[in-house]
Amino acid sequence: MDIEASDLIVGIMMAVFGLIGLIMAAGATDNEIYVFGLSLLGFAVVFDFGLIRRHFDKAELRQKALRGEADHV
Amino acid sequence: MSDLAIGGVMPVAHAPARTAVVYNEAVVRKFTIAAMFWAVVAFLVGVVIAAQLAWPQLNLGLSFTNFGRLRPVHTSAAIFAFGGSALFGTSLYVVQRTCRARLFGGEALANFLFWGYQFFIVMAALSYVMGFSQGQEYAEPEWHLDLWLTVVWVLYAVVFIGTLLKREEPHIYVANWFYLAFILTVAILHLGNNVALPVSIYTAKSYNFASGVQNAMIQWWYGHNAVGFFLTAGFLGMMYYFIPKAAGRPVYSYRLSIVHFWSLIFMYMWAGPHHLHWTALPDWTQTLGMAFSVMLWMPSWGGMINGIMTLSGAWDKLRTDPGLRFSVTAVGFYGMSTFEGPVMSIRDVNSLSHYTDWGIGHVHSGALGWVAFISFGAIYYLVPVLWKRERLYSTRLVSWHYWVATLGIVFYITSMWVAGIMQGLMWRAYDQFGFLQYSFAESVNAVHPYYVIRLIGGVFFLSGALIMVYNLIQTVRSPSTARREALPAGVAVAGE
Amino acid sequence: MFRHELIEKNAILMLVLTLLTVAIGGIVEVVPLFTIETTVEHVKGVRPYSPLEARGRDIYVREGCYTCHSQMIRALRDEVERYGHYSIAAESMYDHPFQWGSKRIGPDLARVGGKYSSDWHYAHLINAQSVVPESLMPHYAFLADTPLETADAVARMKAQRAVGVPYSDEDIANAAADLRTQADPSADNTDLLKRYPKAVTVPGDGKQPTEMDALVAYLQVLGTMVDFADPANEKPRQ
Repeated sequence: MDIEASDLIVGIMMAVFGLIGLIMAAGATDNEIYVFGLSLLGFAVVFDFGLIRRHFDKAELRQKALRGEADHV
Repeated sequence: MSDLAIGGVMPVAHAPARTAVVYNEAVVRKFTIAAMFWAVVAFLVGVVIAAQLAWPQLNLGLSFTNFGRLRPVHTSAAIFAFGGSALFGTSLYVVQRTCRARLFGGEALANFLFWGYQFFIVMAALSYVMGFSQGQEYAEPEWHLDLWLTVVWVLYAVVFIGTLLKREEPHIYVANWFYLAFILTVAILHLGNNVALPVSIYTAKSYNFASGVQNAMIQWWYGHNAVGFFLTAGFLGMMYYFIPKAAGRPVYSYRLSIVHFWSLIFMYMWAGPHHLHWTALPDWTQTLGMAFSVMLWMPSWGGMINGIMTLSGAWDKLRTDPGLRFSVTAVGFYGMSTFEGPVMSIRDVNSLSHYTDWGIGHVHSGALGWVAFISFGAIYYLVPVLWKRERLYSTRLVSWHYWVATLGIVFYITSMWVAGIMQGLMWRAYDQFGFLQYSFAESVNAVHPYYVIRLIGGVFFLSGALIMVYNLIQTVRSPSTARREALPAGVAVAGE
Repeated sequence: MFRHELIEKNAILMLVLTLLTVAIGGIVEVVPLFTIETTVEHVKGVRPYSPLEARGRDIYVREGCYTCHSQMIRALRDEVERYGHYSIAAESMYDHPFQWGSKRIGPDLARVGGKYSSDWHYAHLINAQSVVPESLMPHYAFLADTPLETADAVARMKAQRAVGVPYSDEDIANAAADLRTQADPSADNTDLLKRYPKAVTVPGDGKQPTEMDALVAYLQVLGTMVDFADPANEKPRQ
């Protein structure tokens, strides 16, 4: 079950950004940094979940193709 | 020989792919949708603030609805959100087609470019209305958003250059020269103009490192080249792909494209000081800026000639392809604005035109006539291709869009010319006793009717864009002409 | 013979040449402005903004006043007659960022300081049309209702000092007191004026300065620092 390099690198990068967002929101002294930090965290979480979902969708398709169930037209 | 080179590059997209390259079109589709969405937002906010200038009660007196905070929302939505999404989308499309290579960096990185850029736009707009701004035109986002944009932009460069490097075609097609120059230079400008020290890393407020006259010079070096590279070089890249494609003709002159490319990118960088004529900026800088601004006329018209003359032998297409009509009219407006610009950069003309609505008119003949029209042309071409539809839902509606939008531009720029020249003349008018004839308030009163006409022009332009959106939605909803692909794209590239 | 093909077939070469081509103009125009001595004149009177004025300036930037008001009187006869002595570079040397502006939907503000009373400014900011019927300006009544955030005034001054505004340790130590004093007509402003000559005390309520107080203090100092009647400044030594 190999993970694409692109998915892995971008996924880790986004996780780091999410963490930075969380830290910024935690220490924020104004609304802007608070909103930005939380949004960055939310964005990173949603993006990474998207990556994971896509990964498993693809894996499933590949399985189906192996079993000859893919509906080639 | 030289003509062969360009002929050898152009037909790439015509030729059936010898080795089946599966392009990443999903990201282009997303950027196309975003471009149309932001177009409507930008025009809508523009209409709102134009109405505020005609009837100031519409400011409502709330902090977040006042003109001062909404104006950056309008400019950023037009330049960065609409223009930027159109540039991202078309550049990623063009670079794949003309290099015959799938996007470098895989699907995840392409997705990041899209969502990361949209995140920047939304957060920037939100920060303006919340009251956070660096106070420099077209560079309003505070430091944390600047850093975020830097991340997105660097990865954009990685994807674009990476794709160029893995290309299957020996030549780099001319559209890509312009896209490359746009990406690189905007990176330099962005970094150069946003060197600021935040009060703390938990505070959005920051102070720019440069101050006063140096800050002014750096800002307009940035500001003018945001025009030169974001709004010109990038869109010239668009022109160099979509006009030849839609016209089915090779680019008019290969040699001209070389000469005007290098001279354009060289000279643009000097033109900034014409925004600072007669100010406290030293005279030598003003003179340099003026000289290069006037010279810039030539490379600009080189691009215009190359774009328009590409149609030679295919002029009849203008009758049958209203999308192409947008592109060609855009190049016409480009020629007009790039003549008007050098004229306004002459110090004596500038003494009249600066600080007036003439500048606003000039900007909009470029932004609406050139940037928006060339993007509309490209998008009308792209949507049937990207969604695999035989044709647009309605060419009649494209024609309607064309005429409504053109009329809107005419209203807009003529009213601003009149208003601007009138302001300039009233401000410097003397009465028979040698006193200034008009108070400032009288000049404000005098331009009111023109502000209303400008608003009407804006409403026309917005209506045109709404017609376009309707037409594109109907196109996508029409039945697909494509055979279903053998495998989902993801599987086909899994081994990449 | 040189062939452009060479560049066209080599992405890295094209990248490097493009970078070199675009770098020249900016370097030639920007770098000398930092190195040539005469770029910014040496005149008497230009000082950093007082803590209240500096906070007012932040509000000026925040509300996007520069989208409608310039702060740069050009060296043209009609501008000098309408607004006063043309602006010189020294007057904005502590402005991070500069606010010269590019469009006059409203008049230039480079020398608005002292032209109107502070009371006029309050009335004008609350409802511009009540004093200038033709005005297109939005209402800024909310500034009068918003207490000024003063907790980070010192941090802001330190950040400005880091980018080159010469605030002394004494200036920073007295920031909180100076802030209150300038918005309190009943307070003794001798020390404030020693540190920030020509600082205008605005008619605040004496308890908590509002954002409006800060903005008016800023507007009232604009263009007043340099005394152009002073013979020493008659021909600004460059």
